Amino acid sequence: MARLLKGVFACAAGLCLAGRSVPAEAAFRLGKDGPRIGGFVEAGYGGKLGDDTTKHEDLSMLEQRLQLETTWYPEFAEVWKDWMAAVNFRGDFLLDEYYGGRAEFELRELNLILSPLSWMDLRMGRQVFTWGTGDYLFLNDLFPKDYISFYIGRDDEYLKKPSDGVRVSFYTDPVNLDLALIPVCEPNDFFTGQRLSFYDVFQQRIAARSVNRTVVEPARQPEHSEVAMRAYRNFGRYEFAWYAFRGHYKMPRGILNQMQRRLYFPRLDAYGMSVRGPFYEGIANAEFAYYHSREDSAGDNRLIPNSMCKYLVGYDQDLGNDLRIGVQYLLEQRLEYDSYRRALLPGDVARDEFRHLLTLRINQQYWNQTVDAGLFLFFSPSDRDAYLRPKVDYDVTDQLSFTFGANLIWGEDDSTEFGQLERNKNVYLRVRYAF
Amino acid sequence: MIGMLIVGYAQGIAGARAEMGADEIARKAYNTAYYEGDDGRATVEMTLTDRQERTRKRKFQILRYDIKDGGRQKYYVYFREPADVREMVYMVWKHVGSDDDRWLYLPALDLVRRIAASDKRSSFVGSDFTYEDISGRSVDLDSHELVSSEGGKYLLKNTPKDPDLVEFSYYLVSIDKETMMPVKAEYFDAQGEKYREINALEVKEIQGHPTIIRQRADDLAAGSHTIVEFSDIEYDVGISEDIFTERYLRRAPRRWLDY
Repeated sequence: MARLLKGVFACAAGLCLAGRSVPAEAAFRLGKDGPRIGGFVEAGYGGKLGDDTTKHEDLSMLEQRLQLETTWYPEFAEVWKDWMAAVNFRGDFLLDEYYGGRAEFELRELNLILSPLSWMDLRMGRQVFTWGTGDYLFLNDLFPKDYISFYIGRDDEYLKKPSDGVRVSFYTDPVNLDLALIPVCEPNDFFTGQRLSFYDVFQQRIAARSVNRTVVEPARQPEHSEVAMRAYRNFGRYEFAWYAFRGHYKMPRGILNQMQRRLYFPRLDAYGMSVRGPFYEGIANAEFAYYHSREDSAGDNRLIPNSMCKYLVGYDQDLGNDLRIGVQYLLEQRLEYDSYRRALLPGDVARDEFRHLLTLRINQQYWNQTVDAGLFLFFSPSDRDAYLRPKVDYDVTDQLSFTFGANLIWGEDDSTEFGQLERNKNVYLRVRYAF
Repeated sequence: MIGMLIVGYAQGIAGARAEMGADEIARKAYNTAYYEGDDGRATVEMTLTDRQERTRKRKFQILRYDIKDGGRQKYYVYFREPADVREMVYMVWKHVGSDDDRWLYLPALDLVRRIAASDKRSSFVGSDFTYEDISGRSVDLDSHELVSSEGGKYLLKNTPKDPDLVEFSYYLVSIDKETMMPVKAEYFDAQGEKYREINALEVKEIQGHPTIIRQRADDLAAGSHTIVEFSDIEYDVGISEDIFTERYLRRAPRRWLDY
């Protein structure tokens, strides 16, 4: 209770501060003609619905955040102007009460954009890479994600983690090409048991504080760099894209040494394509990806995931009166399934050959679109688990907004994707002042 | 050639005198409101006021490119305020005879979302204007009837050909005879009750084109209204068509947007 009060007090103090020091007119400038600086302050509180064995048993989030964002156009030489140079910055100062008031700075974007040729753009530095057609489902988007933020109710922005790299884009008549070069592989924010409990393959049960494992990150060497490519163009009103990726699994899915409880990120290649366009009274999309597990092509190594095929179809429609619905169906097929089953040892979790996942999105806006009540449901009939994300956003003014939501997770088995997170059911409240 | 032009001009005047047909009036008014010049840009400030007099502001810039007058067109809407939509882009490729293609770029997620054309009648950014008010409702979607032509104005009654797609049963538009600019629109529901009204508050000539620079929309049922003010209006700026692509959603074309 004391902690809760402290959190609420911090929220209130943060807002008062924001209200006083920031001009209500939105954004401010450095100097008279300096770059405009925007951003927000936000306080977030989230509590678990049941007791867990994580660092805090009943808390999932308690934090204050300041984000600053600006774009600066260096124009001190003609060439900078000709190349339309721009520098983007976005950074978060986070005071994380979950970890005893630990102060962190997260640089989300610091990159230089140039157009050295009329048909070419370069974006160099820290940036968020993303592409693909899924809604919260990523097949060909193998850029790092932060699922911890996702499951505790931070803003959607934080699901996507930044990487250090270069994005080269070519725009030509037959096709457009995006090339992402990431010298140092950046994995997902994976579960550690500190904030979220999950299924620990070594203990063969859901665990949190008791998790005792070592995750070996890819060494900072050229052979661990990652390359991702997307080629895209329109045929009529339909957007087609082709993808290729060479890098690593984003989660520590490989077991390096079972006795020493050491996990690592095995190599992964992926190829795929997608199409999106008008269909019936809405927008439909279809996406396919083939994951080639390079260290286990034959599928007979039980410590490394098998290759997979993933198929996604989706449909999204605005029904008028500010109501939007979306449905998706994802099918994941584990390849070389017989070899996989033969290689399993007693005690291993035997995964199905096919995993079916359905999603449903409903968003309804009220009061001149100042209130957005939405829910997003993941449901897997084959894994027998589900994850429901209800959320209400209320913009009190153009600056001040409240977000109230929940992350509700169910599962029959402890080892499935959502089932393992069952004890992390939580509700959260965020208050944001944007400027 | 000159002779033909003169004859054509004379016929035009004679036609106007003898009252143009309703379809022709509707088409001319539509072109005046949405197709002046070959392209155009403007800064737009919307003030939304609800029943309880609470106000919100939306500020954005519009770039427009005409492929064909009265026909295909492209729009690029770049948001500046409020903070939570800053740098968001709404893009439209307007077609004739088929649904428009529309995209929304969300900068915080670096996401290009495609939006269905079916909600054209829903509110644009929470204001009392609809998406269709922003980029224009094709004249072919309604049948037009000239109700009166008194007081220097044409009054047109427009009835939707497919009433299931819209929330109104008909709407009346007043068009200034001199400029052919629609200056008032009134929307009526199935019971014949007026529930929505749009008024041009100020019309100015810019580069020889009659242009609305202040406009007001009233939602009579909800008691809310929205005032739009246009500034920095410019026609024939030479906007190139290639900015209406995904490349420039992710990277706003600074050259065409005032900073």
